[in-house]
Amino acid sequence: MQLRAAPPLLVLLPALVLLPLALLLPGLSHGGGWELIGQFASAALTPSLEPVVLRSVAAGLLVTVAMALLGWAVSLVLGLLLGVASSRTVWTSLTGSALPATGIRRLLAVPRSIHELIWGLLLLQLMGLQPAVAVLAIVIPYAALVARVISDLLDALPTTNVEALRAGGAPAPAALLTALGPALLPGVLSYGGYRLECALRSATLLGVFGLGGLGTELKLTMQSLAFHELWTGLWLLLAVMLSLEAGLGGLRRRWLMPVRFGLQQPSVGLRAREMVLVLLALLPLSLLLGQALGVQPQALFTWQPLPPLQNDWPSVLAMPWPALVGGTLALTLLAACLAVGLAPLLLLLAAPSRWLRAPLRLVWALGRLWPPPLTALLLLLVLQPGVVTGALALGFHNLGVLGRLLLESAADASPATEQALACAGSGPRLALLYGRLSVVARPYLAYAAYRSDVMLRESVVVSLVGATGLGSQLLESLSAFAWDQLLALVVVYALLTLVGEDLSDRWRARLLASG
Amino acid sequence: MTFRIRATAALVGLSLALLPALAPAGGPLPSLLSEAKAQQNTKVLRIGAIPDQKPELLNRLYPLVANELSRQLGVKVTYVPVVNYAAAVTAFRTGGLDLVWFGSLTGVQARLQKPGAQVIAQRDIDASFQSVFIANTSSGLRPISNVKGLSELKGKRFTFASESSTSGRLMPQYYLNQAGVKLSDFAGGAPGFTGSHDTAIALVQSGAYQAGAVSEEVWRSSLSEGKANRAKVIQIWKTPGYPNYHWLAQPDLDKRFGKGFTARMKTAILSWRPTNPRQKEVLALFGAQRFIPANAAAYSSIEQVGRQIGKIR
Repeated sequence: MQLRAAPPLLVLLPALVLLPLALLLPGLSHGGGWELIGQFASAALTPSLEPVVLRSVAAGLLVTVAMALLGWAVSLVLGLLLGVASSRTVWTSLTGSALPATGIRRLLAVPRSIHELIWGLLLLQLMGLQPAVAVLAIVIPYAALVARVISDLLDALPTTNVEALRAGGAPAPAALLTALGPALLPGVLSYGGYRLECALRSATLLGVFGLGGLGTELKLTMQSLAFHELWTGLWLLLAVMLSLEAGLGGLRRRWLMPVRFGLQQPSVGLRAREMVLVLLALLPLSLLLGQALGVQPQALFTWQPLPPLQNDWPSVLAMPWPALVGGTLALTLLAACLAVGLAPLLLLLAAPSRWLRAPLRLVWALGRLWPPPLTALLLLLVLQPGVVTGALALGFHNLGVLGRLLLESAADASPATEQALACAGSGPRLALLYGRLSVVARPYLAYAAYRSDVMLRESVVVSLVGATGLGSQLLESLSAFAWDQLLALVVVYALLTLVGEDLSDRWRARLLASG
Repeated sequence: MTFRIRATAALVGLSLALLPALAPAGGPLPSLLSEAKAQQNTKVLRIGAIPDQKPELLNRLYPLVANELSRQLGVKVTYVPVVNYAAAVTAFRTGGLDLVWFGSLTGVQARLQKPGAQVIAQRDIDASFQSVFIANTSSGLRPISNVKGLSELKGKRFTFASESSTSGRLMPQYYLNQAGVKLSDFAGGAPGFTGSHDTAIALVQSGAYQAGAVSEEVWRSSLSEGKANRAKVIQIWKTPGYPNYHWLAQPDLDKRFGKGFTARMKTAILSWRPTNPRQKEVLALFGAQRFIPANAAAYSSIEQVGRQIGKIR
């Protein structure tokens, strides 16, 4: 007989990492900066409302939103095209061979494997400081990510309809569009909305590293310890993020949920018309934003020559690679365990009380909101730099993302088992654990596997601050303008994330298959 | 149901109609196309600086510099802020900045990446600039008499100012090396980089770091302005002098602004005196009495140290 953990327990397993962490933390904390942390926390209640600050924060926010929206719109269009171009179904129907699809897919893995921040920093070197850099930095990896999801969605659709239409004599393009288009739409809509939320976070993060917008304001105010001004920006960003999430959620429900119990049947084609209207509104909006930002498309083609590549490969080889890679992996693993395990644990702890859920949601929203490097800077005030500090910052950010997802999917799940358990006399926590959480456990873990892969990619962001792993070396090499080192670091990073992506794909497929 | 569609359509139509009102004058497309042309024609001198101090100070100082230069040279001058040292170097290489106030290290990096760049001037205090090591009083660190005493810093929480700062990183690290202290010897296995000298002082004073290294100039002004509290943070050692900050100009300014422009710019900067009220304010914010000529050869020692530390390759 084989002993297997029940899914809901599997969800809680990663939280075990808290035990060694609790042992390590006292040794790492130095408590030197508690006074500053106190100032930071109390400033949350008294953000600066001076007109000068408000104006500069609002201007920064506008730039960030514009970058996010432009980057998102372009990446979505590009991603759709590339996604169709890398779909096996499409190529098989058109030419009879799926080989080109596999080739394009492999090629797209490269832009995808490099985090938008690295793209941003590299493009900055090539094109100089201009708004187009931030937009392009978002577009490159996002388009490749969207393409992958679209082609996965396309290839997962049953091909019987296409074959039937083809057998009936329809030409391949028409058959593909008719059979797969409508089936693809829900996936594109919900994933596209999610990417817009990501784009807002990315644009903020790019700003933290100097590409302009609210992120830059946040970094500068944090750096000069002007916490009241910092909170002005953070609260405003929170408002924008939450309304964006709510707005997208609303649209998703309106367009994707089947109409139940509706007295009035919506007229045929209403949704389609609404979508077309929104799309049409997006086009002039993007143009205007591009103009307001000062994005000059032609500037993308005037590249600056890079300084000559030094070929000091022995010194590149002599870098402490095992420590760098080990640091990155340890950081990712710790952050992933923290984020994946803590979300259900906190939900369980807060379950019996309605009053606890609201603060929990707020903490998660703040986690999504704060760019991880800012959290890391704050943590450095009381903790020593290193893997744990970086992991806490990265974990907190992803806890916000995972927590929201868990809460939403738990709310959507059928409450039957939980109610049955509660009626049979089990406590609210146990009922939640074996009721709803047990239902969502497998999809949650599958998403967590995907998220861990994202965290590996994101680890570069905190390791710049946390003084550990590949990212810290990346910043050193960048400020020394050591192109050979940079090249080697980016290649190693890309390889790591490609392996990570493969592992997370396999783990996800296994989880979903055995469910 | 049709009401709803009409309402939606009306709303979208209205917002579409109102959108252009948000835009600055000029249609989106023509201005997009004419922008690049306009930039080539208008002669704007773009000045910048490494962000070594609080943005508030930089934002007060450099617009004044831009005004003064514009008045003396008769061209439009704008100040372009950058977020970190490396970005300033990159902006200089990629032609985004024409005249930049660099530190020694960033200046050498910029000249190596842009052959022909011209060193214009330095401050009177830059010929022999110094760094100070500072410590929180609760750290138990005491003033030391010579460089070997820096070995006391092993195992302490230590911060530099910025990765590419000459006075807040390069020279302090050079002297730490001489005392046998490696960067991995600090608590946590690595030093911190706070981003600017002011922040480094504030964080050492708060106790977040036990010790740090900053520019002597910023340290002195923090003390005199009362921002640094001697009861909480003290100076433990001052380095010997070395050449630091300087103005660096693009090699092609004469071609773009007319013959002799670079020389006129140099004369203008060197002519600033405290007797002129406008120039007095600029000089005061720079912490200097006046600017003096500088030559590139003076920075060769910095280049050597930079190569030794690995910040120049």
